Amino acid sequence: MSDRDQVYYDNVVIVRRPPLAWPGGHRVAFSIVVCAEYYELHPPDDAFIPPNVPGGFGRAPYPDVRAFSQREYGNRVGIFRVIEALDRYHIRPTVAADACIAAGYPYLIDQFQRRNWEIAAHGYSLTRVISNKMTEEQEREYIGNSLNAVERASGVKPGGWHGPEYGESERTPAILAELGVKYVLDWPNDEQPYLMNTPSGSMVSIPMALELDDVVIHYHRRVSLARWRQAISEALDQLQTDGVAAGRHLVLNVHPWLIGHPHRIGYLEEALADVCRRGNVWMATAGEIAAFYRSQQSSG
Amino acid sequence: MLQYSYRPHFPATSRKQTDVDQSWIDYLPITERPPIAWPGGARLAVMICPNILYYEFMPPPDPWINPWARMTPDVMMYGRQEFGSRVGFWRLVDILDKHGLPCTAVLNVAALSKFPDVCAALVERQWDILGHGMYNTRFICGYNEDEERAYYRDMLRTVRDLTGVEMKGMGGPGPQAATERTPDLLAEAGFLYYADFFHDDQPFPIRVKSGRLISMPYSVEINDVPVLATAYEADEFVTIVRRQFDRLYAEGGRVMCITIHPAVIGQAQRAKYVDLALQYLRSFPDVWFASGRDITEHYMAHCYDAVVERIRTWPWTAR
Repeated sequence: MSDRDQVYYDNVVIVRRPPLAWPGGHRVAFSIVVCAEYYELHPPDDAFIPPNVPGGFGRAPYPDVRAFSQREYGNRVGIFRVIEALDRYHIRPTVAADACIAAGYPYLIDQFQRRNWEIAAHGYSLTRVISNKMTEEQEREYIGNSLNAVERASGVKPGGWHGPEYGESERTPAILAELGVKYVLDWPNDEQPYLMNTPSGSMVSIPMALELDDVVIHYHRRVSLARWRQAISEALDQLQTDGVAAGRHLVLNVHPWLIGHPHRIGYLEEALADVCRRGNVWMATAGEIAAFYRSQQSSG
Repeated sequence: MLQYSYRPHFPATSRKQTDVDQSWIDYLPITERPPIAWPGGARLAVMICPNILYYEFMPPPDPWINPWARMTPDVMMYGRQEFGSRVGFWRLVDILDKHGLPCTAVLNVAALSKFPDVCAALVERQWDILGHGMYNTRFICGYNEDEERAYYRDMLRTVRDLTGVEMKGMGGPGPQAATERTPDLLAEAGFLYYADFFHDDQPFPIRVKSGRLISMPYSVEINDVPVLATAYEADEFVTIVRRQFDRLYAEGGRVMCITIHPAVIGQAQRAKYVDLALQYLRSFPDVWFASGRDITEHYMAHCYDAVVERIRTWPWTAR
């Protein structure tokens, strides 16, 4: 092949797969990923950060207090509105916590663990994004340090990975598998989990609904959150229809620095109420979806 | 619309701070603080911030920020901004007068001399003034300590001479302009509140070498510029104001900052929505409409020490 395609999974389209049946015969699995992120005031000079990372008014000279503090709102204020909303609907999300949060915000980690939330690793910080610019050694160290930070803070080795800004290099899945990661959330290319095979072993990929990511639809595209809430409902309608033949999933990625603002949080609450009203939806963490999918593969 | 752009290869600014980024602010989440009781038992403090901006036609070149990202001069963007003081401000002043609410002008100080009528209007209404630098087209990123100190001294003196106001708040200028000495130098110059930290719904102590400085919850959310910069129109601004108010009013003990720009929401087709938004807020009891100075004075007198003590004794505080 002349093009350098990805090498980690088979190109099997959704209509050619063995039927996927969720636990309890549910048609749709639903999961929330809450990103707990840190924006460094002074990342290292060689750190890669994509040009469209939101916060402040674009990347500014040090000290970029505005971009830093806009993100920090999530950790000081916004996360607690998200917690309250999820508590009200008895939903356990997967928190994607970066290493700065894990090491610097033990109170937040404790709040997550008290609620038996799953904690996945989320890189070092929003201001250090994985890309092909890293050497293999740098990337292995980066991922290892990020996993260790979450394990040190929580006492649990994280099973899941979500790179900051969905950032990966060509090597990332292999390094994640080598370091014992069970599932990855970065590849938004499907409505079912699938297996990634790497030289270091296999791993589950759980695609998130990128177009419903609150940052993508609202911060970048400036679609209103009233429309976002409607779009989530429309997606669930369609997935419940499609899910009659074989299970589908919806993994919703939300960011407390954005959705946690007073004028926005109500839309998340409405979306959660909508999900909870529906039958045929399996409420699960991303880790539970990955573990179930994996068990089906080995038994099937 | 394309306003500022950061120059792609701006020179590095000074980085003496080597410890963690928390060196300016402690982490004490809002749920763990002593509750704030606003004057008169008010549930919510509302701070209204009309911006009074001065964009230069031909600004001096700046190595960090290009204020006219399309071209220089840019008569379209310059004209759009200047509309604010020539027309939009006067339309908003009528609406604000009707409601009789205290305002905090976010001020490029040079606007006082360019538009003496605007200056007189501020003085007549006794608005508080939150300094926003001299011009929105000159930035302080590369200033050394003496230059920055002189900059604040000059701003304070100009405002005092032209309005009689002893300025206590500062933020900006422009989109992002600070040095790592900014909080210390603001406190040294006598400022009490700093509006460039968007991290909270309440004021919060900033660690400075001398004096006291708090962050004031200035808003890039309830702000006509980001809302109307994209596909929304001013009715959406009212929706956002109402939703923000409803939530904060229910929670209590917080600050709601409403940021408006005469060049943007002072347009003929938009101003009435400011009126509608203010009508809505005024239909509730127990709302404290306050200036930045009012909120700061209350916080310093009744909240600052309790929060600092709570930071000291909170078991999760990093030590």
